[in-house]
Amino acid sequence: MEIKAIGCEPLQLKRMHVKDGHTLKVYEKTGGYKSLKKALEMTQDDIINEVKASALRGRGGAGFPTGMKWSFVPRQSPKPKYVVCNADESEPGTFKDRYLLERDPHALIEGMLIAAFALGSECCYIYFRGEYNYLIDIMDKAIEEARKANLVGKNILGSGFNCEVFTQTGAGAYICGEETALLSSLEGYRGHPRMKPPFPAIEGLYACPTVVNNVETLTAVPQIIEMGGENWRNLGTEKSGGTKLWSVSGHVKKPGVYELPMGYSNLEKFILEDCGGMLHDDKKLKACIPGGSSVYIMNAEQIIGKNVLMDYEGLVAAGSSVGSGGFIVMDETVDVMESTKNLIEFYKHESCGWCTPCREGTDWLNKILKRISEGNGRPEDAQLMLDICDNIEGKSFCPLGDAAAWPVQSAIKRFPEDFKNWLFRNTNGN
Amino acid sequence: MSEELIKVTINGTEYEVEKGRRLIEVCNENGCNIPSFCYYSDLQVQASCRMCLVRIDKMPKLQTSCTINCTDGMVVTTNTEEIAKAQRAMSEFLLANHPLDCPVCDRGGECDLQETVMSAGNVEERFHEPKNSFAEKFLSPMVANDQQRCILCKRCTRVCDEWMGETVIEAGNRGVNTVIGTYGGWLNCSQCGNCVEVCPTGTLLDAVYRHETRPWELERTVSTDVYSSDGMQLSIGSRGGKVHRIVARDRYVNGLNGEFLDVKARFGHEFVNHPDRIKTPLIRYKKGGKAIPATWDDAISFVADKLKDSKNVGVVASPRLTNESIFTLKRLATEALNSDNYAVSDAYNLAPFFDNLSAPLCNHKEIRYAKTILLIGGEPEEEQTYTAKQMRQAVRNGGAKLIIVNDTPINLIKSATQFVHVNKGSYEAFVLALLDKKNDKVSAKKLGVDKAELEKVRVTIAATEGDFIIMFGGDLSAEAQAVLANSAEKFASDKCKVLYHPLPLYNNSVGANDVMQGKKSLGEVLKESKSFIIGGSLQDANILEEKDFVVAFELFETETTDKADVILPAASFAEVDGTYTNNAGNVQRVRKAIDFVNQSKPDWLIADAIAKELGVDFGYQSSASAVFKAIADSVPAYEGLRYPALKNESKPVQAKHTIHSAKDLSNEIKALTERVEALAGETNKNNETPRIGHKLHRLTTLTSRTPQFHLLANGNPKPENLHVSPLKQFDTDGKAVAAS
Ligand SMILES: Cc1cc2nc3c(=O)[nH]c(=O)nc-3n(C[C@H](O)[C@H](O)[C@H](O)COP(=O)(O)O)c2cc1C
Ligand code: SF4
Ligand code: SF4
Ligand code: SF4
Ligand code: FES
Repeated sequence: MEIKAIGCEPLQLKRMHVKDGHTLKVYEKTGGYKSLKKALEMTQDDIINEVKASALRGRGGAGFPTGMKWSFVPRQSPKPKYVVCNADESEPGTFKDRYLLERDPHALIEGMLIAAFALGSECCYIYFRGEYNYLIDIMDKAIEEARKANLVGKNILGSGFNCEVFTQTGAGAYICGEETALLSSLEGYRGHPRMKPPFPAIEGLYACPTVVNNVETLTAVPQIIEMGGENWRNLGTEKSGGTKLWSVSGHVKKPGVYELPMGYSNLEKFILEDCGGMLHDDKKLKACIPGGSSVYIMNAEQIIGKNVLMDYEGLVAAGSSVGSGGFIVMDETVDVMESTKNLIEFYKHESCGWCTPCREGTDWLNKILKRISEGNGRPEDAQLMLDICDNIEGKSFCPLGDAAAWPVQSAIKRFPEDFKNWLFRNTNGN
Repeated sequence: MSEELIKVTINGTEYEVEKGRRLIEVCNENGCNIPSFCYYSDLQVQASCRMCLVRIDKMPKLQTSCTINCTDGMVVTTNTEEIAKAQRAMSEFLLANHPLDCPVCDRGGECDLQETVMSAGNVEERFHEPKNSFAEKFLSPMVANDQQRCILCKRCTRVCDEWMGETVIEAGNRGVNTVIGTYGGWLNCSQCGNCVEVCPTGTLLDAVYRHETRPWELERTVSTDVYSSDGMQLSIGSRGGKVHRIVARDRYVNGLNGEFLDVKARFGHEFVNHPDRIKTPLIRYKKGGKAIPATWDDAISFVADKLKDSKNVGVVASPRLTNESIFTLKRLATEALNSDNYAVSDAYNLAPFFDNLSAPLCNHKEIRYAKTILLIGGEPEEEQTYTAKQMRQAVRNGGAKLIIVNDTPINLIKSATQFVHVNKGSYEAFVLALLDKKNDKVSAKKLGVDKAELEKVRVTIAATEGDFIIMFGGDLSAEAQAVLANSAEKFASDKCKVLYHPLPLYNNSVGANDVMQGKKSLGEVLKESKSFIIGGSLQDANILEEKDFVVAFELFETETTDKADVILPAASFAEVDGTYTNNAGNVQRVRKAIDFVNQSKPDWLIADAIAKELGVDFGYQSSASAVFKAIADSVPAYEGLRYPALKNESKPVQAKHTIHSAKDLSNEIKALTERVEALAGETNKNNETPRIGHKLHRLTTLTSRTPQFHLLANGNPKPENLHVSPLKQFDTDGKAVAAS
C-alpha cells in the first residue's frame, strides 16, 4: 500500500506518515489550525472569494466548483445554516477519504470550521458510511480535543464564533452518499434522494441552507486559506486547481493513495511507472476506470501514447472523467463482460428503488448479464442492454441511474470482443 | 396561485395560463395528454414514475412535467418520438417484473397501469428474464396487498401521511425489492382505505369486496355517504340488486371529498343486502307477543285504524333519513294526525345554532385553505373524517393555525398549533372567555388552564389574515351554541372572514333541523305522547315499554322494533332517491342504486301511505322529486331548489341559511355565566389519547353487518397467517378459531 505525492509537495497527504498525526498536538505542531485563526480575521466574503480563486472543485464526484456552491447560500436568511461533510465514501474503487479521516481528522475539522464561519453556520455534521464506524471514534476524540482547546464550541478562540461538530453514521447504503439522500438519512428518514430544486444550499438539512462537501474538498480549504487561492490553484491548472487524491487499485504493483497535481501528465506514465507498472510483467494493460465505478471505462488504446492529462478537462477529452478518483486498473486477464456484471450487481443492489428506470433497469441489466455469464447469451443482448441504458440515462430521478448506465454503455462499446465471445458462443446451445 | 397570466407554448400552440401552474395539468387541460402514475394533485410531488417526461426548450434533459411550474415563454414539446420512446421505456420497465395477468387481477378493467400502457400502445415485450414475485397477503381485515403488482408510485403512503396523519403504511426494503408494507406487518389504523382508493394498480385491494365481481359488470350510482355529516360523495357499485362496493374513485365520482372516504363510508355497506333485513311488514297483535308478517295494505290500514282517533301522536324521525322522509313525517304529524308533537332523534339540537347564525357555514374547501381554525370539543377525526383531513392539510400544506379546545388529547392535536386542555364539561367557560376578555379569570379557573393560554388564543385569532373558522362539537349547551353562533362580528375584520362549521353526528342532522321546522325536543315528545310513529330507531327505547301503540320504520330488528306494535320495512339509502344536507349546508342527492330489498319502501312513501289511509293526500304521486319541491316551497333556506339543480355532484349547492345580525343575547349570556360560575373547577381532564378508530369501529346496527367490523371493534387482532382472510381465523369476537 503506497501513500505518496508525485509531482508536488504532499498537501492532502502531509500527515499520512507523521507519527500521531491524528492528534491535536502533532496537528498544531505541523501547522494545523493556523488557517482557522487566519480565517477568523477575514470577512466571510473574502474567504469565499479565496475558495473561488482556488478553482477547487468538489472531490465527491460531481466536480462542482466549491466557491460557487458556497456563494449560493443565502447568508442573510434567518434560518440556521448547516455544513455537512460527506464521508459516505461508497463509490467502488474509492478509499482516499478513509485515510484522511483516520490519519488527519483535524484537517477536516479545521476545514469545516472555516466553511461554517464563512457561511454563518454554527453546526456541522460529518456523515460516515456505516462501515466506517471505527473512524468515528477517532473523529469523536479529535472533536473532543478540539473542544478542550476551544477550537470547537462556544466563542472559538475568543472570536465570538460558535460552532459545534457532530458525527453520524449511515446504515451502509451507497445512495446515502448522494447529497440529498444523505440529508434525508441524517434527518432520520429512509435514504431516498430529494427533488432538486430546491438545492441543498437553499433548502437542505431540515429545510435550511446547507452546504454538503466531500471530505477531500473540505480538507483542501485550510490549505487554500494558508497559501491563498491563487497559489493553490497554480499547483494545478487554470480550471482544475490544486492537487487531487487518486485511490489506485487493481493490477498494478503499487496500489495505494496518490496525490497528484491537477493536470498531471500523463495517465499512461502514472499507471506504468508511478504505480509500479502492471502487476504481472507479462500481462498487458487492458482497461482503466479512472474515476470510480460510475465513469466510462477506458480501453488501452485510449491511454497508450495518448498523453492523457489527469484533470477534469483532460479525462473528459479522453473519454472518461475524474469522478471520485477511484482508479481501477485491469490487465488482460479481465473479461470486461464479467467485470461489468459485477458492477451492475452493485448498482442493482444499491438502487434505492424510488424511480422506475433505475429500479427496474438495473434489475433487468443484472438479470441479462447473469444469464449471459451462465452461458445463455443471445446476439441481441448487446443492443438490448444499450437500449435499456439509453432508457435509464437522463431519465432517472437522481444521478445513480446514469452512473449505472454509463459503465455498461462504455463497456459494450469499448470492449465489443468481450461481449461477442459470450453472445455468439452460446455455451449451452440455446 | 397567482392571478398573473403568462404565455406557454405547448406543441407549437400558445396558451395563456396562470403563472406557476403545474405543467402536467396545463398540458392535460389542453388536450396534450401526459401519462402519469405518481402525480396526484392534492399530494406532495413525488416525481418517481418518470412517465410524464416532456422536452422543454433550453433545458438539458427531458423534464418531468409533474415537477415543473409554468414560467413565461416556456416552450414545451410532448409529442415527439423522443418522448414516445421515453414513455414506452417507462411502461416497459414497469411491466418488467409485473405479473401481466390482468384477467385475474382485482383491478383489471379500472387499472391506470393497464389503461396507460394499452393506450400508449406498441410496447414490445423484450423482458424474457424470470420475474421477481411476492405472495399476496392481508394487511388488515379491510386491506389486502398483492405486492408484485406495485409500481411504487407511493400515492398510498402519501395519502396515509398527508391526509390521514397516520404514516402506518410505508415502503420496505430497497431497490427492486422495495415493497409497500406496514410496520410489524399489520395495519393498525383507522382503516379508511384511502390507500386502496388512490392505488392506480391492483396492489392495495378492498379486502371486503375483493374478487366479488369485475368492475365493468357493476352499475355505478353517484350518491352520498349515509354515515358522516361531511356528506361525502361516493359511487355505489351494484349488480343484480346487490351493492358490492363503495368507492370515491375520480373516474366515477367527483364530489367535494375527491377520492377521500372513511372506513364506514367505504366498507360499512354490507347491511344493505344483509339477510337480516326485515322482509315484510309485521304486526304484533298482542303486547309482548310475536310479530306476524302482514301485507302492506293490511299493515297500513291497521296503523291508520289505530291512530285515527288518537290525540297528540308522537312522530320521531331519525337524522339518518333523507330530507324527503323527515319532511313527510313532519307533514304526517301536522296534516294527517293533527299533532305538533314531532322531533328528530338526534344526539343534540342544532336549532339554537342556526337560529343565531351570524356568518355563513364554510364549505370543505374553505377549511383546507383557512388561516385559523378553532375547534371546541368534538372529535372530527372519528366523526367527521373529511373535515379532519381538510384540517390536517390546512395546517400541513397551508400553514394554518389550528387551536383545539378539548378535555381529551384527541388524535388531531398532532396537527394543532395550540392545544387548550380543559376540564371535562367546561367548554361553556371557554365560550364565555371568547366572548369577553373580562371573563378570563373565572373561565381559566373553571377550564383548568392558565390565563395566558386564553390570551394566546385571542392573539392568534386577531392576527388572522384570511378565513377564520369556528368549529364545535355536540357538547355545547343551547345557550353556548347561540352565543357562539352570534359572535362573528367580534372576530371579523377587513382582513379576516369568519365562517362556521358545526360538527353534528349524523349524515342528515343539518337537513333534519332545516326541514322539520317547529320540532320539539325528543324528550318532550317521548314524554307527552302515548302513540308513536318512529322513522328509524331510538338510542334508548325503554320508554316505549309503557306506550299504547308504536309504529317503527326500520331496516333491522332493534330494541325499538322489539317494542313496536307495527314494524314496517324501510328502504336503505342505496334504494331510495332523496337528499341529505351536510355540515357545510350542501344539499346533495341520494340516488337509488338498487331495487328495494325484500318488500321495503322509502320512509317518506310509508308516511305518505299512512296519510292517504287517514284521508290526506300530499300530492306527491310517488315521486321523490315532488317531495323535494314541497320542501323547497316551504323551507326558506331551500327556496327554488329542484333535483335538476343538484344534478352535478362536483358543484354542490349550499342551502341559504339565514345570517342573523348581532342579537341581544343577554339572557343567554346570563344563563351561561351562571352555569360557568356553578362549575366545580376542579381538575378533571382525560389524559389519554383515545385509540384511533374508537368511534369509527364501534359496532352499530349498520356497521355490525360487515363482519370485518367485528374484528376492528375487537382490537384488530393480527392473524397467524397473513395469506388467509382474518375472517377465517377469528370469530366475530376476535377470538382465534382453529384453522380448518
Ligand atoms: C449515487 C451517488 C453517490 C455518491 N456518493 C458520494 C460519496 O460517497 N461521497 C461523496 O463525497 N460524494 C458522493 N456523491 C456526490 C454527492 O452527491 C455530492 O455531489 C458531493 O457530496 C458534494 O460534495 P463536493 O462538491 O465536495 O464533491 C454521490 C453522488 C451520487 C449520485
Ligand atoms: S436513480 Fe432513482 S432509483 Fe436510482 S438511486 Fe436515484 S432515485 Fe433511487
Ligand atoms: S387504511 Fe387509511 S390509514 Fe390505513 S394504511 Fe390505508 S391510508 Fe393509511
Ligand atoms: S401500493 Fe399502489 S399506490 Fe402504493 S405504491 Fe404501490 S402501486 Fe402505488
Ligand atoms: S407523474 Fe411525473 S414522475 Fe410520475
